[in-house]
Amino acid sequence: MAELKRSSLLTWLVSPFQPTREHADARFTYRGSSTLYLALLGLGVALLIVSLVGWAVDAKQFFFSYVVGWSFALTVTLGALFLTLIHHITKSHWSVVVRRIPEAMTWMFPVLAVLSIPILLGMHDLYHWTHEELYDPTDPHYDEILAGKRGYLNTPFWLARMAAYFLIWTFLSYRLLKLSLRQDLDPDRSIPKKQRRTAAWGIPVFGVTTAFASYDILMALDPHWFSTIFGVYIFAGAFFSASATIVLLALLLQRLGGSLRGIFTKEHYHDLGKWMFAMTAFWAYIAFSQYMLYWYGGIPEETVFYRHRFEHGWQWHSYSLMFFHFVLPFLILLPRASKRILPVLGVMTGWFLVIHWFDIHWIAMPVYDVFYGAGHAGFSWISIACGLGFLFFYLGLTLYHLQRHSLVPYNDPRFVRSLQFESV
Amino acid sequence: MPNLLTSLFREIKATMGIFEPGGDQTYGLLAEFSDPGALYHAAQDVRQAGYKRFDTHSPFPIHGMDRAMGLGQSKLGIIVFFGGTVVGCALGIWMQWWTSAVDYPINISGKPFYSVWPAMPIIFELTILFSALVAVAGMLALNGLPRPYNPLFYSERFRKATDDGFFLHIAASDPEFDLDATRDFLGEIGALHVEVLEDQGTTTSAAPPAAETPPEPTPSVA
Repeated sequence: MAELKRSSLLTWLVSPFQPTREHADARFTYRGSSTLYLALLGLGVALLIVSLVGWAVDAKQFFFSYVVGWSFALTVTLGALFLTLIHHITKSHWSVVVRRIPEAMTWMFPVLAVLSIPILLGMHDLYHWTHEELYDPTDPHYDEILAGKRGYLNTPFWLARMAAYFLIWTFLSYRLLKLSLRQDLDPDRSIPKKQRRTAAWGIPVFGVTTAFASYDILMALDPHWFSTIFGVYIFAGAFFSASATIVLLALLLQRLGGSLRGIFTKEHYHDLGKWMFAMTAFWAYIAFSQYMLYWYGGIPEETVFYRHRFEHGWQWHSYSLMFFHFVLPFLILLPRASKRILPVLGVMTGWFLVIHWFDIHWIAMPVYDVFYGAGHAGFSWISIACGLGFLFFYLGLTLYHLQRHSLVPYNDPRFVRSLQFESV
Repeated sequence: MPNLLTSLFREIKATMGIFEPGGDQTYGLLAEFSDPGALYHAAQDVRQAGYKRFDTHSPFPIHGMDRAMGLGQSKLGIIVFFGGTVVGCALGIWMQWWTSAVDYPINISGKPFYSVWPAMPIIFELTILFSALVAVAGMLALNGLPRPYNPLFYSERFRKATDDGFFLHIAASDPEFDLDATRDFLGEIGALHVEVLEDQGTTTSAAPPAAETPPEPTPSVA
């Protein structure tokens, strides 16, 4: 029996195991050409290099733009990890056919860890609390509030936490990916149980790490402000964008890659569409919960978050977010038909990814505006280059990883039921 | 004109599974099948034979039966959206605006009399409440429920539909219906037993009574 072999060190970063597609039935493997993922990858890398020019031109703007793009990719990956975990814990059978796509997406964690280098280099510009003078009582910049938070918000502890998050996420993804790919070569009946057990401890660990990562990466940009629901807000965005990315990758595999015909059916798209629909509502529920409690309380250190986002043109971003992240997609995805007409669903995936990026841009960029005073809302070309760069890079790399193995876990005991699945 | 209305009314009732008896009070034929699979295929055959007014009865939902019967997509979603969601949402907005800003405005810690943000939870709740109520009411209406009288209840055998019986009923009002031809057809597609139902409360067995087994054991009453 064939063994699952580890990739060489450099390839390990993007795809930890040597290709196993030759063991699979031809119907289950990638049928398209390598042009698809190479083009996406090339476009992504080119745009990211273009954004590096921004580093030279306007370093502060670049760091903020980069953290938006990077967090965008990170949240999509977190959503994919969560979808993999709930697939296993609930013993779902409909999503067996879908599973390889979120699994491949989770292997972005090591790549994103490497790509966090610009953020580490830009910490001084990004994170106000890294400034030493804030903690010196004799200094005019002494900040009592931040001094009180110093036990948590300090550079060594922050770095240690980031390292811990990425180690945990990578370990979880690696374990699930390894079990899944081993199943292709060896239909060991104990594998689903191992996957389920991993998911059982993985879900609480995922919840805590995601919440704290959202505080550390995005909430810490505005260190005076705090919101206890922020972790859930980011989680909602992660689930939202990951379900859209899965649909987009499946459409790319089928329409441009000519694969999975008759395997990944309209029924699977329909159920993924339901996730997308549900997550617009869940996101709105969480976003509104935060807003309404702030509105009622009217406490300055809380409402400052919205004050920045209701002036200097940012109010248009806030209103756009409400309409294009919730109201319109909710109404569009409400009828059954729009989840089953694939061109409509395909357009909605693009919409979802753009608006999720816009959401993170809305969280991070007003902070840049306040600290470094561009004075008005808008989009820097560096932000757009970073956002699109990360998006194309993400899609290309995930497709590269996907095509090395079978696109479906055909030895999963629930695989046949997944093929026959009918969405109600 | 009354005729047109009557026939329209009959058509609507037929979509709810309430069929008119034929000319001589014949309500239709009731056929029993051995298992869910047999009933599923029978429904497909009946639909392909051109019958429109028929229904299936089983102790539990059978996956894919709606497609086998050619029922199409339920209209409930549209009814719920316009009759419940939109109405509930509008009512929630109007009610709170009218009570707190028009009819009896009270200044509470300087907050605006009416603002959409604190009103949102109640708008949301009323939207959900009305959608849910209209969904239940619409479901009942589309199914023609509650329906305390149904000629099918005259059949002793039909009691098994809540236990282990799988039944298909073709209404006499169906344009394709012909008592003998339809009975033969039901036998051909594998019915175990076919009986004629009359709307007046009498049933006549159409199959030879040889295969009849005694009715269910009567519970011993002390």
